[in-house]
Amino acid sequence: MQSSFTHPDRAASSVLRSLAAIGFEVGLPVATTCVVLDTFDARLHRAGLRLEHRIGEVGELVLAGPAGTPPAYLAWLKATPRFGGDFPSGPFGRRVVSLSQERALIPVVSFTTHTRVACRRDRRGKAVVWVLMHERPLADGAGAELPAWVAEVVGVVGHDDERADAFDRLARLGLVPAHGRAADVIARALGVSFEGHTSVPTIALDAEQDALSAYRAVLINLLSTIRDNLPGTLANTDPEFLHELRVAVRRTRSVLSQGRRVLPEDVRTRFATAFGQLGTLTSPARDLDVYVMGWDLMVAPLRLPDPQVLVRVRSEIERRRTAAHAALSAELGGEACRQTLEDWHGWLTDTQVVPPRPMPIGPWMARRIAKAQATVLVRGRAITPESPPEALHDLRKDAKKLRYLMECFGGLLPRKGRKAFVGQLKVLQDNLGDHQDAEVQLAELRLLAHDLHARARVDTDALLAMGRLSDLLDRRRRQQRELFVERFAGYDTKANGLVLAAMLNAVEPG
Amino acid sequence: MKIAATYSIKGGVGKTSTAVNLAFEAAREGARVLVWDLDPQGAATFLFRVRPKVRGGSRRMVGARGELAPNIRGSNLSPVHVVPADFSLRHLDLHLKKSARPSQRLADLLAPVQDLYDIALLDCPPSISLASESVFGAAEALLVPVVPATLAARTLTQLVDFLDDQEDAPLVLPILSMVDRRRRLHKELAESLAADWPELLATSIPAAAVIERMGIERAPVGVSAPSSPATRAYRSLWAEVSARLWA
Repeated sequence: MQSSFTHPDRAASSVLRSLAAIGFEVGLPVATTCVVLDTFDARLHRAGLRLEHRIGEVGELVLAGPAGTPPAYLAWLKATPRFGGDFPSGPFGRRVVSLSQERALIPVVSFTTHTRVACRRDRRGKAVVWVLMHERPLADGAGAELPAWVAEVVGVVGHDDERADAFDRLARLGLVPAHGRAADVIARALGVSFEGHTSVPTIALDAEQDALSAYRAVLINLLSTIRDNLPGTLANTDPEFLHELRVAVRRTRSVLSQGRRVLPEDVRTRFATAFGQLGTLTSPARDLDVYVMGWDLMVAPLRLPDPQVLVRVRSEIERRRTAAHAALSAELGGEACRQTLEDWHGWLTDTQVVPPRPMPIGPWMARRIAKAQATVLVRGRAITPESPPEALHDLRKDAKKLRYLMECFGGLLPRKGRKAFVGQLKVLQDNLGDHQDAEVQLAELRLLAHDLHARARVDTDALLAMGRLSDLLDRRRRQQRELFVERFAGYDTKANGLVLAAMLNAVEPG
Repeated sequence: MKIAATYSIKGGVGKTSTAVNLAFEAAREGARVLVWDLDPQGAATFLFRVRPKVRGGSRRMVGARGELAPNIRGSNLSPVHVVPADFSLRHLDLHLKKSARPSQRLADLLAPVQDLYDIALLDCPPSISLASESVFGAAEALLVPVVPATLAARTLTQLVDFLDDQEDAPLVLPILSMVDRRRRLHKELAESLAADWPELLATSIPAAAVIERMGIERAPVGVSAPSSPATRAYRSLWAEVSARLWA
């Protein structure tokens, strides 16, 4: 929606004089800094919301929705909020946190203007339309040329005529209409997008396309995700950066492992090893992230009479987490990692690479997916109540491989069937994931208890509480184990098999 | 969206002041607020500087094809929107009677806008009627101002007795209103009300000139007298009400 105006030559003062002449009250200029906040993956933007921290005569947070919906305001004199926990309890914070969850709020664009408010009132003294004149915008590190001013027309619900009238009058002055509000105009001039980064692995592919070019397109997309999430992982901005990076690394490994005869063997072996090492590097920090994020929920069922009993234990886990992230940052920020990613990019974009064995991707991938599914079914059917936990862990890895193929090469498959099939697979994976998380946390907790006890860092009450927590995790692990039979049976159905077969037939006729 | 109504069988007890000032405090805490003025006198409409006009009158608004959205107006406080009142609301009972489910009609009208607001405050006229029953059908809580007078406490009893017979009756939250702590009678009645009504909210609203001046300032006391005891009282009242609503 067009709701702003600019003009390369006309002075803001002349526009304001014109507004005053038709009955607008024009206020004094106030230096105002506006910081637009969103998560890295633009969760607020995708929900149609805009969160701004405005620092002017007063400090406030503004959460605005689409036109016609009331904005919400919160007086804010503190530093720009970063996490959900920074907001006071109340509807404002609830709305933000329900979307941002564990993600950090990151400044998308920040600029300072000298803003004058012009408003037109009705005979009751109520403002019925506003024009916000933002003059001399300045943005951090901006090399781009910004407009000298942006006039933003803000309507009041129920006064559409007055808004349209103000808009017409400004247009008749010969001003240039612009899409969106002042922040949109300035962001566009700066080349900043509110769309955020996505980690969607599925890209458009053609079944007739050569397999090597399809693999390289998929792998370049995954490399972009790794690179996008690397700075946030290094800075430990929020746990999702590391998670997204790890998933992209795992997908890369999975695609490489399924790339025999498509990718040159030397390249495949070299980078499978490099990304394997990269994945291993990231595990300790992620395991501890999961531990800390799930801590409150995990200990809640213990109903400890004194919640302080486990404070030391939690602090120790936090300390280990911080240390794990520091170690990870040192490795990921190091020369070896940089070189790996650069070499990988170099190979993926090398136009001289020749396919070892030219073939269309469609039939090839259909066979890979069918094989991956067969492996999942064989391994899953072989699991009995007596099977060791490792059997479930191996099945989990196989299920991931299948899922990653379905997602990364999903562009070849019919969307509807793929979503339904992956949905079923996800139910099984959730069960296997919860089982594995409980296993890892149980092992970690036992090591921690021994370590803290040996160093006399915890008292008896804490050790007893850790024992109860250990029982709880063990119970959870066993519950998931029992649930597995049902979950696997829900996945291993004829109907599900037919869905997959129909999808694969679509890319490999006959 | 939570729905609360300022309601009392008795008039002149501070319903509109409570609705308007709580709307301001809710907005100050970051809520998106809809005030629905159901009183044909239109005092809340006046205080928010909104034109007292219901499109097509109350008959059209509560009729089978009626909608709330076309009647919503921005107020002089950006996060507060208002459904204004006009004199046609004096026939609200008659129009509600014609609808299929009179006691649910207001709830039905509010349903389409529930994602746009965090709270709707219904400012009700002093009576007990079909319109009141429709308010009881929509609201999760009734904020009932009670002045420290013997007869006022009696109307609270009448209301609670009436609601005892209703299914899904809203929570009744009595609020001591227009209290002058210097007056011995007020103090005694306030103490006895607190003893008789455990649901009575801890905050009491003082009798204050700044509240009386709202009609002149045409603004909540939080705007016209931000540091006054009355503003502090409404702030504390909102904290209690929001804690109960979002408990």
